[in-house]
Amino acid sequence: MRIRIFRWKAVGPLLLLFIVLAVLVFLFAEPVARQTTEEVSTELLGTEVDVGRLDLIPRTASVDLGALQVADPFEPRRNLLEADRIVLKLNPEALTEKKLVVERFALQGMRFGTARKRPARPVSGRGFAPQALKAVRDWGRQFDVPLLQLTPIDTLRQLVLNPGQLVTVQAAQALLARTDSTRQALEQGFKAVDVTGTVDSARALADRLAATDVRSLGLDGTRQAVQSVQQTLKRLDAAKQQVTGLERNVTQGVKLLGTGAQGLDEARQKDYAFARSLLKLPSFSAPDIGNALFGKVSVDRFQQALYWAELARHYMPPGLLPREDPGPKRLRASGTTVRFPKARTWPAFLLQVGQVDFSIAEGLLKGDYAATVQGLTSAPALYGKPMIVSARRNAPGSAIAGIDVGAVVDHRASTLRDSVAARLRGVKLPSFELPGLPFRLSPGTGAANLMFALRGDQLRGHWSIGSNDVAWALDTARGSRNDLEQLVWRVLSGLKQLDVSADVRGPVKSPTLSVRSNLDQAVAGRLKAVVGEEVAKAEALARAKVDSIVSDRVAPVKQQIAAVQADATKRVTAERQRLDQVQADLQKQLERLTSGAVPGIKLPKIKL
Amino acid sequence: MFTLLKLIQSIIKTLHSEGTPGQVALGMALGSVLGLTPLMNVHNLIIFSLIVLLNVSFGGAMLGWALFVPIGFLLDPVFDRIGAGLLGAASLRSLWTSWYNTPLVPYTNFNNSVVLGSVVGWLVLAVPIFFAARWGVARYRATIGERVRQSKLYKAVTASQVYNWYRLFRPS
Repeated sequence: MRIRIFRWKAVGPLLLLFIVLAVLVFLFAEPVARQTTEEVSTELLGTEVDVGRLDLIPRTASVDLGALQVADPFEPRRNLLEADRIVLKLNPEALTEKKLVVERFALQGMRFGTARKRPARPVSGRGFAPQALKAVRDWGRQFDVPLLQLTPIDTLRQLVLNPGQLVTVQAAQALLARTDSTRQALEQGFKAVDVTGTVDSARALADRLAATDVRSLGLDGTRQAVQSVQQTLKRLDAAKQQVTGLERNVTQGVKLLGTGAQGLDEARQKDYAFARSLLKLPSFSAPDIGNALFGKVSVDRFQQALYWAELARHYMPPGLLPREDPGPKRLRASGTTVRFPKARTWPAFLLQVGQVDFSIAEGLLKGDYAATVQGLTSAPALYGKPMIVSARRNAPGSAIAGIDVGAVVDHRASTLRDSVAARLRGVKLPSFELPGLPFRLSPGTGAANLMFALRGDQLRGHWSIGSNDVAWALDTARGSRNDLEQLVWRVLSGLKQLDVSADVRGPVKSPTLSVRSNLDQAVAGRLKAVVGEEVAKAEALARAKVDSIVSDRVAPVKQQIAAVQADATKRVTAERQRLDQVQADLQKQLERLTSGAVPGIKLPKIKL
Repeated sequence: MFTLLKLIQSIIKTLHSEGTPGQVALGMALGSVLGLTPLMNVHNLIIFSLIVLLNVSFGGAMLGWALFVPIGFLLDPVFDRIGAGLLGAASLRSLWTSWYNTPLVPYTNFNNSVVLGSVVGWLVLAVPIFFAARWGVARYRATIGERVRQSKLYKAVTASQVYNWYRLFRPS
């Protein structure tokens, strides 16, 4: 029987199945696309993204999004951005390659910093953004931002120090162990060189030759004697080189121990600071006060800028090498999805030009706004130009001068360059708490600047705010204030002008932060005048307490280091002297042998 | 429980269908791709169309699908490694780059390590699956097949309404 290959009667049901699938796609494409957009954007940005409405318009290859909310990753109760409507015009040719190329993008009803009806849910998982958020928060914690301590000074009587808490004690123990191992290493080095054997045999030869009459040796005997002297001199030369090497090791080891000893002094300064912090003494140092008052708020600003820069660096990598990303979430394993960019083709994502123009007619923010985004892409090397963002507000006739924001993200080459500069004039600055103090600062309407630049792994940032309309508020919920808090409150509440500037610079992993404000000197001066004497006494007590614990542990270590240093140097010098002495004696014997063998002819001296 | 019953029903019906052992085995080999690879992919739509259009055992395909779903889950780490190895191979980079930038091809998700690895895994396993299934079906029919056909369970299964639907796709 001949078996037919095709089952023609199944064509009908198969077509029916395709029609059903098409109907399902038609019915559910938009809800699925909306949900996918929310999920993917949330995962990518590391913060909740809500899309109220999504309409697909296949005829014009457009997507119409409504009621978009992007939560602030650092403040879940606030939206970073809210927009009534966004229309994206996509490139249909790129869509056939599963690439999202946004040719035009129009945005209506955009608002920033609006309050959310419900807090954004935290984004978790193995995605890059949650990890970046965690890393940036850890980065922020590395800055040693002190609190302005304004507790009563009589707490100094409670100072109890545990030796285990003091870094000097730990450092001294570690250094003691290192001193021991250095001493052992040097001892082994001396043994390995074995100068004594070489010197003894050379000495024996020199003595034997000194007691021998050269004429009695004959020509052959003299030749053999000269040869053995030359060989011994070579051995001495080799031993001297070994001693030189040993001397180098001694110098390095001694230097390291010396550095360790210096480290003990530095550790003691840290312990003074630690003991001082236990007493909760107020600082009179203006930089400390600036840091205490505005360090946290400054770090918050730089943290946010760094977070977005890190996302840009991850999602906008340089070069055209294949790029791996986690695969889609599904019941089966996600695996890894690899993108293979190719020159002169579309990148997987590109926003060619996005223009936002809108006006606000009334209120503090009234004016004409214009913003553009160019070249936001997943493959900057393919696009060939840096991404540029600019936003501007013109408000002629208004008290508000305007907003000026510019950002350049250049990831075309291997050295990534990201920078953003924002100048805001006449804007209402957000109020914030002063860390550890029962005061709240409302800067009112003023100016703010932010400059943030990352070049490779080098970071440079500057943040400043200025206002002539500062208001201070007391946190009444925290009960009565002590004398120091009242003092500082009197200083602060009398100030109407505020100028704060913060700088961060250095490698991204370990930058330095400096904060200055016009309040620093005022607060420092007033505190010093009132409680300076008491604080000085308390500081002296803290130092004495640290010294009483630390001195007993540090002195023996320093003595041992000195002993190892002295012993090693002495031994090296002695070995060198022994070698020099026996070498000189042998050289003298060599001269005697050669002058005796061929009288009147001076042989050249063997240079060693 | 319902899934298990459906699986037993599928096995019984398939093993006693009028199709030749070769048709059942080919159906199983094609159906196994639905189980071995992530389901929601373009290649599975094509394979499903082939199962329906070609004169192979539809029940065999469903049986292959059901049998290979757990195997697919188990082998996912292996597929991931195979796919990652292939996608990362320098000698194949120009091929993948060309496919990735060709219209419609990226929708196959070939650039996902599990999808690529499982499809390649299926291509390697399809021939052994076919021969093993053909031998197993022929052996079953020659030994205990007739006794099962006379059993009450088989009669109950074949009398159900679902079986009438199944008959539409049985091999001729």
